Amino acid sequence: MEQNNSLPPFQGLASPQGAMTPGTPIFSPMMPYGSGLTPQPVTNTNSLSLLEEQHRQQQASAQQGGVSGGSGQTPQLYHSQTVTTTTLPGNTPLYTTTPLTPMTPITPATPASESSGIVPQLQNIVSTVNLGCKLDLKTIALRARNAEYNPKRFAAVIMRIREPRTTALIFSSGKMVCTGAKSEEQSRLAARKYARVVQKLGFPAKFLDFKIQNMVGSCDVKFPIRLEGLVLTHQQFSSYEPELFPGLIYRMIKPRIVLLIFVSGKVVLTGAKVRGEIYEAFENIYPILKGFRKTT
Amino acid sequence: MLVEDYRAGDMICPECGLVVGDRVIDVGSEWRTFTNEKATKDPSRVGDAQNPLLNGGDLTTMISKGTGAASFDEFGNSKYQNRRTMSSSDRAMLNAFKEITTMADRINLPRNIIDRTNNLFKQVYEQKSLKGRANDAIASACLYIACRQEGVPRTFKEICAVSRISKKEIGRCFKLILKALETSVDLITTGDFMSRFCSNLGLPKQVQMAATYIARKAVELDLVPGRSPISVAAAAIYMASQASAEKKTQKEIGDIAGVADVTIRQSYRLIYPRAADLFPPDFKFDTPVDKLPQL
Repeated sequence: MEQNNSLPPFQGLASPQGAMTPGTPIFSPMMPYGSGLTPQPVTNTNSLSLLEEQHRQQQASAQQGGVSGGSGQTPQLYHSQTVTTTTLPGNTPLYTTTPLTPMTPITPATPASESSGIVPQLQNIVSTVNLGCKLDLKTIALRARNAEYNPKRFAAVIMRIREPRTTALIFSSGKMVCTGAKSEEQSRLAARKYARVVQKLGFPAKFLDFKIQNMVGSCDVKFPIRLEGLVLTHQQFSSYEPELFPGLIYRMIKPRIVLLIFVSGKVVLTGAKVRGEIYEAFENIYPILKGFRKTT
Repeated sequence: MLVEDYRAGDMICPECGLVVGDRVIDVGSEWRTFTNEKATKDPSRVGDAQNPLLNGGDLTTMISKGTGAASFDEFGNSKYQNRRTMSSSDRAMLNAFKEITTMADRINLPRNIIDRTNNLFKQVYEQKSLKGRANDAIASACLYIACRQEGVPRTFKEICAVSRISKKEIGRCFKLILKALETSVDLITTGDFMSRFCSNLGLPKQVQMAATYIARKAVELDLVPGRSPISVAAAAIYMASQASAEKKTQKEIGDIAGVADVTIRQSYRLIYPRAADLFPPDFKFDTPVDKLPQL
């Protein structure tokens, strides 16, 4: 069967943070994976290691690089399919066959007003995943590297890895929160790495219900903004209290996004579940901000 | 079109003279009222002047503590003890009104602000959308909103000073209340605080007017983008007082305004370069502009 990549079996590479034992071929089940944007044949390979997944992501991101936001695509495109049940360990190749519908990047007809030409950069992705088994936090904290556990302060193990620089909160119920990644792929990869760490410590960890809960993006419109004017005209959406916070808090309804708008022209967008919402929200706010540009 | 005839207690039709009611009980005040020294106690009123708008029409009466000797039993305890639970449903609201009055009294707020605060609290309380929050926090936030709505805003720190609630919690409740009542408030300006800060510092009217002018000019010329109006006001007061005979230190001004003295320093550094343009044209300088302190 056709494989997207033809990597030699994983061996002899520097192990990612505290995870892999070199030499043993690792079979992880795969989800038919891809960015959803670029046309990809349905991949039914079932023997993917984390490294191959990384490679696949790099390919996907290289192909995806040209497509910027604001193309009006449906949000699902940016997020891989969520598969409900998959298991990590074992040599038995397991694969689920949710076929990917090949999507071609759709550029809509140029709208009446030109787009801003500015693309918000993602700064943080928060995601959750269920490892599917109860965990003993004390053994994890003692045996894993870069793990801290202070049960009196917080009831979870805080683990950090360096490769996608992320932090994970691992709870005893088996649920995990992964924060700090800069893209959806990196968040998923990091979550898998954490799951691998836990698996290596002897727990039957799975990778269930990976879901991105929040995405934060930021950008700069490159001109100063009159926040007083903005709060006057959009007062049902805005809240500007200089005593409480120096930025204007704009709660957009259509994609439900909260934007923090500052006098300097910097904008922070948060509350998105998919990348498209951030882009859409920025495209919505940009003409409004242009109207409140400071003239001096 | 019936007309009441008080003298006979009748309801009479003025057109045909038909007497409809007969011996209608007069609900006006007691006829025989003697003027005595205690003119404040109006004998025609039989109940306390409750505020029916806020209480939901509580018509219950209570038995007060007795005054004579007969009201005490053998051990000295008062015989009639039940003074509780007359309006349990709105007990929390009455408590909050008392708290609001106490808080407002500490900063000498006039009656109209207190009434507005009470009204706001009643609306929020009846809506129940903020039911989980501490009543004191809601009361403090209502007080803040009332001051804003009346055009005499108080800073959050000033409200904090008379309330046990933290500024963070008051700020949170403030935003929640605005959303719940679907109102909004005007943005604060530097001029709103000038008269209060300057009189607390004992600065003469000339200096106050100069500081107001400086702050307004600074905002118009956009010398202080993104700075809180309180900080700009404090810096303007500093500049005006340093140019006059009544010089105040940054620490004193920071104390009154609730602003850190480094913050005043930062804002002052921003307005200092254009100091000559910021002063009102008719200002009498005790210290000329070039001798103003430069920090």
